[in-house]
Amino acid sequence: MSELFVGKSFPRADAEKVTGKAAYINDIKVPRMLYGKILYSTRPHARIKNIDTSAAEKLHGVRAVLTGRNTPNVRVGFLGDQEPLKKDKVRQFRDEVAAVAAIDEDIAEEATSLIKVEYEDLPPVFDPIEAMKDDAPLVHEFDARGKPRRNNILPLPWKLIAGDVNKGREQSAHIVKDTFRTTWVHQVCMGASGCIAQFDVNNNLVFTSVTNVPFGGKDRLDMFLRNIGLKSSTRILTPFVGGSFGSKLDTDIYEFIAVLLAWETKCPVKILFDRHEEFTASPPRQPAIATVEQGCDKDGHLTFRKVDMILDNGAYTSWGATTPSVMSIPVSTLYKVRNIHFEATCVYTNNIYAQAMRGYGNPQATYVVEQSMDQLAEAAGIDPLDFRLINANEPYTESPMRIKITTCPLKECLQEVKTRIDWENKHGKRDGRGVGVASFLHVGGGARVYLSDGQGIIMKVNDEGKLTIITGGTDQGQGSETIIRQMAAEASGLRYEDISIVLGDTEICPWDVGTHASRHLFMVGNAILMCAEKIRAKIRDLGARWMRSIIEADLNKKARRDPDFKAPQIDWSVLENPDNLDVCNGEIFVRDDPENPFLRMKIARVVRKAHLLGTGRGEMVTAEAFYDPPNEMIDREGKGNISCCYTFGTHGVEVEVDKETGQLRILNYVAAHDVGRAINPMLVKGQIYGAAIMGTGYGLTEEMLLNAGRVMNPNLLDYKLLTAKDKVPIDAVIVEPIEPSGPFGAKGIGEPACVPSAPAIANAVYDAIGVRIKELPITPERVLAALKQKEEEGV
Amino acid sequence: MRTFEYLKPASVNKALALLDLYGDQAKLIAGGTDVMVQWKKRIISPQVLISLRNLAELSFIKFGGGLEIGAGTTHRALELSPEIREHFPVIHDAVSNLGSVQVRNSGTIGGNICNAAPSADTAPPLLVLDTNVRIASTKGERTVAIRDFFRGPSRTVLQTGELVTLFSIPAPLPRTGMAYSKHTRRKAMDLPIVGVAVLLSFEEDLKTCRKAAIALGVAAPTPMRAANAEAFLAGKPVDKTTLLEAGKIASEEASPRTTIRGSAWYRKEIIRVLVRRTGLICMERAKGAARS
Repeated sequence: MSELFVGKSFPRADAEKVTGKAAYINDIKVPRMLYGKILYSTRPHARIKNIDTSAAEKLHGVRAVLTGRNTPNVRVGFLGDQEPLKKDKVRQFRDEVAAVAAIDEDIAEEATSLIKVEYEDLPPVFDPIEAMKDDAPLVHEFDARGKPRRNNILPLPWKLIAGDVNKGREQSAHIVKDTFRTTWVHQVCMGASGCIAQFDVNNNLVFTSVTNVPFGGKDRLDMFLRNIGLKSSTRILTPFVGGSFGSKLDTDIYEFIAVLLAWETKCPVKILFDRHEEFTASPPRQPAIATVEQGCDKDGHLTFRKVDMILDNGAYTSWGATTPSVMSIPVSTLYKVRNIHFEATCVYTNNIYAQAMRGYGNPQATYVVEQSMDQLAEAAGIDPLDFRLINANEPYTESPMRIKITTCPLKECLQEVKTRIDWENKHGKRDGRGVGVASFLHVGGGARVYLSDGQGIIMKVNDEGKLTIITGGTDQGQGSETIIRQMAAEASGLRYEDISIVLGDTEICPWDVGTHASRHLFMVGNAILMCAEKIRAKIRDLGARWMRSIIEADLNKKARRDPDFKAPQIDWSVLENPDNLDVCNGEIFVRDDPENPFLRMKIARVVRKAHLLGTGRGEMVTAEAFYDPPNEMIDREGKGNISCCYTFGTHGVEVEVDKETGQLRILNYVAAHDVGRAINPMLVKGQIYGAAIMGTGYGLTEEMLLNAGRVMNPNLLDYKLLTAKDKVPIDAVIVEPIEPSGPFGAKGIGEPACVPSAPAIANAVYDAIGVRIKELPITPERVLAALKQKEEEGV
Repeated sequence: MRTFEYLKPASVNKALALLDLYGDQAKLIAGGTDVMVQWKKRIISPQVLISLRNLAELSFIKFGGGLEIGAGTTHRALELSPEIREHFPVIHDAVSNLGSVQVRNSGTIGGNICNAAPSADTAPPLLVLDTNVRIASTKGERTVAIRDFFRGPSRTVLQTGELVTLFSIPAPLPRTGMAYSKHTRRKAMDLPIVGVAVLLSFEEDLKTCRKAAIALGVAAPTPMRAANAEAFLAGKPVDKTTLLEAGKIASEEASPRTTIRGSAWYRKEIIRVLVRRTGLICMERAKGAARS
């Protein structure tokens, strides 16, 4: 039977966002609610000698003033390397030194300004390479267990070795080596960070949160409650969330502070960031210094690849420090290369620390690998696009990282770009216009970073034949309300418009690992397929038992009203076997006789019959399912099939460079993406457009400017997010190889399209003017400086 | 707690009386696109805000060869004025790329000038147009040439109790072309890294420069005229070569700073390039004007 819902461009179901009816964290107020504000450090590295909160405490309307000195000393974060409120020492400008709860925001803010903190400055270190030296100031003197630390290098030795790089080097006809740098960029969610913490009468924490990992967040908060001496647990509620892009994966420090304030005051406490705070006190994407060396034989086949990364961890550790686990995927597996050496070193500095951001390390890694690919192609005298075709991954192969590639249309994506960007005619001109290309691969079927990569789902068919789906997933703007309806309607046989979704409450919703790693559609889709199968079976079973009596009652009624009515001859035996019945678009009918009007009825009728049986033996139609994909955690050697499928793609960019100003214009942009199967082509394109613009911002304009640890551009004027007027003409090409493990053949597409933009642009700039910019972003100033240097060198 | 009193007088005279009453404790607010930003950043903390919003006597565009613009006229009103587009395109260039439509609907030309940022987009156009600034107080009125108006970043000749009411622009000479170029990192919601306004009036041959005016934004502590470059062009035939030279001279006259928005060397480069490019636009526009 052809599909009714999947593969069609249903418009977004969450219309309340454009009608202003959606309640975001900003809109939510609860009775007796106080407002929390945080006082941040004014020093990058200093001992706290004294904190005087007396004036703040006296201010009318203030309910609590907390510091590290009057709260329990509880460590939080992935390595336990910080406490919510810093007691003895600050290590970055965003260090939380004190917090206030007051009856309104202005009073809370004024109170923080009345807190006097006496510091004794310590020598800071901002450069990760400096910080690795033996005599560098220690950012942390002790680790979480109280053991003295000797240096600033984190105990996270990311390493992946496969094959023999030295042997690969010997087999090489051409070798290139270079160093590239990327910088901090911010997720810049439209909705800022915020939460409301409140305790119920049993001291359970009810936490309204913008998280996209409700159950992981619950775990962290439950542990925090235990550590502050409470035996209660947490219920997480998530309202509408205005974007995450990775920023809402970890429980952030302000959230623990809100809990402390709520416990202290016994009132609900809300903390809501403003844009300045969002830039200065929420963790962005990690910067990297990467040295990449790779070689190929005389025919252009890759022989080895060696990548060394230094990651500026900042002062504390969040998920940013774990992004090498994803970087190792492109380093080891983007194109066929057998001999791999990858090492990443995370280093403490007195800079701001980093979190996850869309792509999770992949943008940085792909940026360096794909520029190096162009350099190597040039060294080998091979067209860079052909060079990639020579080395492109093949379907159903295994990479040195033990990545098991299933469907893989990388060559198709490269060909799409080649044709659509008119590569043959445009490449190699060096006339101020140029084309560049870069590919990527990314996890497309979840990513096992925890013991479970699963998602739970509950379905119930209501009295009126409508389907309620209760899911542990979250929506932060990716369109899950639409695609859940499409897939559930297809799989369950109920109507698209009769499906409602309940999410965002850990007390109601089944467990889920979190809506991250481009996994949501893949996971919820497979869970829907499992669950809907059970629902269909139950409905068919009820049909087999009750359709006959319903139909007979109908016929009798008709006969009573219309004496001329002649009941049709019906073979009732066909209804007795549930296997003869089918469910589609809200109706139940006989599979082999679907047009028969007498043997067809709304699902609601059989469900209602089962509910209102009058015999004391009523039934209801509910089902649950838990989908945990067949993927592996990476092992101690950094190897393993982390996802059960991978998504590939290629971006091609045509640029024009103004050689007098260094300004760059994108004339043409082709983004070819393997999505397995587009459940909703319009939403897929939306993901591609949005992510490619984000990637273009990463390439061209976005950077958090840090001067001695301080964010210099904490606003949307000086943080150059691209605007609607800067739109790039993106040709989004959907390639559909139909992934066997994916629901209806689909793979994840949430992150990938922001991965290859920056290297594709850098390669296009090189093609246009013969200058390679090895630092992000590619600003006009950097382009002009590089052009001038080239002129001076007379190259 | 930080608060202010918001007063909304019904006329300029009433605003002036309030200014007299509150003196330095008061701050004028028109569109609020700068004032509110500064208030939030705690750069200013006035006790009283005196609003000039929607005062009809400050919001007008009077065209009659020359041009009179009420200080309270919004950027958007200027942008949509056909007279300005046709006869004073240098102003149109500046206001149509300022902020966003929302900002332009709110912000006013008087606010942009009185805020006295080196990056004020409307300053270079008013400078090349030899604009006179009319200033009112309860003591009366005075007029100051715009080139004497700015005293430093965020500083002007305005005294306590004074407000700007009007910009008066003399009619340009015949065969004049004028244009403004703004160098930015993105196409909206951005300040210029450098802004360059050029006005060229030609002799009847449409080649020889009768009068040149070049103004630079973000090139010095205040928006400035590039007098040496202007003097160089005056009387000479205008072409790519002379404009290139004028650009070099202007670039040498400028003393931009290195900030997070751009390095000094880069700003100087851009001035050199933009003076030439903007000059070429002026030539085209002058020819176009002569033909029509």
